[in-house]
Amino acid sequence: MITVNVTVNGKKYKRDVEPSKTLLRFLREDLGLTGTKEGCGAGECGACTVFMDGHTVNSCMVLAAELEGRSVETIEGEAKEGVLSDIQAAFDRHHAIQCGYCSAGMVLSVRELLKRNPKPSVEQIKEGIEGNFCRCTGYQQIIEAVLDVSGQEGSKGELHYV
Amino acid sequence: MLSGFNYAAPRTRGELLDLLAAEGQGAKLLAGGTDLLVNMRSGAVKPRLVIDVKRVEGFSGIEWSAKDGLVMKASTTINDLLRDREVRERFPLLAACAHDLASYQVRNRATVVGNVVNASPCSDMAPALLCLGARARISSKTGTREVPFKEFFTGVKRTVLKADELLELIIVPAEEGGARGSYRKLKRINGHDLGIVGVAMMKKGGLMRIAVSSAAPTPVLVDGLNETSTPEAAVAAVRKAISPISDLRCSKEYREHMVEVFVRRLLEELK
Ligand SMILES: Cc1cc2nc3c(=O)[nH]c(=O)nc-3n(C[C@H](O)[C@H](O)[C@H](O)COP(=O)(O)OP(=O)(O)OC[C@H]3O[C@@H](n4cnc5c(N)ncnc54)[C@H](O)[C@@H]3O)c2cc1C
Ligand code: FES
Ligand code: FES
Repeated sequence: MITVNVTVNGKKYKRDVEPSKTLLRFLREDLGLTGTKEGCGAGECGACTVFMDGHTVNSCMVLAAELEGRSVETIEGEAKEGVLSDIQAAFDRHHAIQCGYCSAGMVLSVRELLKRNPKPSVEQIKEGIEGNFCRCTGYQQIIEAVLDVSGQEGSKGELHYV
Repeated sequence: MLSGFNYAAPRTRGELLDLLAAEGQGAKLLAGGTDLLVNMRSGAVKPRLVIDVKRVEGFSGIEWSAKDGLVMKASTTINDLLRDREVRERFPLLAACAHDLASYQVRNRATVVGNVVNASPCSDMAPALLCLGARARISSKTGTREVPFKEFFTGVKRTVLKADELLELIIVPAEEGGARGSYRKLKRINGHDLGIVGVAMMKKGGLMRIAVSSAAPTPVLVDGLNETSTPEAAVAAVRKAISPISDLRCSKEYREHMVEVFVRRLLEELK
């Protein structure tokens, strides 16, 4: 067992972890934060995306043992006091969520994108979420939500509908 | 599921090299884990000890100086490269290859060092490092050596590294700064995907170098061309250097064809 001190969504935890436990399983099983999902478990799908020290990572490919002194943010930290964040509210308005399995990771990747690029073009949005697979809503509504939350609803013309 | 290994996070280079020397074959270094943890999960790799390089003092960041060139460390991630102004301005080919590697969140963790040690034929960083004449500084408890990348890869997922050796630095010579360059990567989709073939081209002071990924057991460098080489000469030299196979993703003939198409397009782009 390895002892780690880690901050998750602003709250400090001290926990013993097995070396083989991933950050994903640590969040879900040890802390009960089940908003973060496992899809592929191998870096492909992005369902497990969380922030670690200010940047997004695939939590299925991080060991919990690496967490000493680190700070993690998950989807549970996104809404504040029961009020959806701006990104979540835009997803809601645009029906950018169907089953919701990809949404936790998708919302956090969008947060990372908007931090570095507050007004991304459609191409830049596609690139920002390329590591996040959505297998049911499709991407149009998600891109519309990102255009909306970045104040660019008028740029929808760049989207090609099929 | 992962199971059955110990984890160590040494703070100094000396501690890390001691651990590597003591554990030998049973140890695996952990950088971003985007290859290692996937391979451990599938059972392809079963280390007794995982040694994290990221806590070692002095192992992160990127340094540029006109004397030593561009120096990448063991923990330097692909996105560290892309966020670095010197890299974007002086080494456009490095940035182009980095930008084509995996997805944004994978690039936040994946390191340049991990990418070349993994030594996949489809490595996206290898073509840039080959074209730019980069060197690997390799250290163990008993000493340090430098190997140019054109001698670094020895086969599919094989390199010159021994079990007790650390790839400590990747050095791009200062004189390659300012070289023009670009990368073309064929994928099944527009989003993130491993390459079906990749072609990098660099031009500097009359010289032209081309490197190709996914078209031989290792990434390949084609040297000895110059800026005035005809497209036919460039294509012929590249064809001679590669030995693609047919696999799940496409046929040998398609790979050969697309390498040629990319060489011609890059020649146009970098005219
Ligand atoms: C979803 C996904 C998509 C990907 N797409 C691409 C792609 O498009 N192009 C591409 O090229 N790659 C791709 N990869 C592969 C991978 O992300 C890269 O190869 C990455 O750069 C590896 O770096 P890392 O830091 O994660 O290495 P790790 O997984 O930490 O290590 C890789 C290997 O290097 C060894 N090692 C690490 N550091 C050292 C050191 N300092 N000295 C000696 N040995 C060391 C490890 O023991 C291990 O064997 C992808 C991976 C995933 C999961
Ligand atoms: S579960 Fe981590 S990327 Fe799919
Ligand atoms: S909403 Fe179902 S996978 Fe995206």
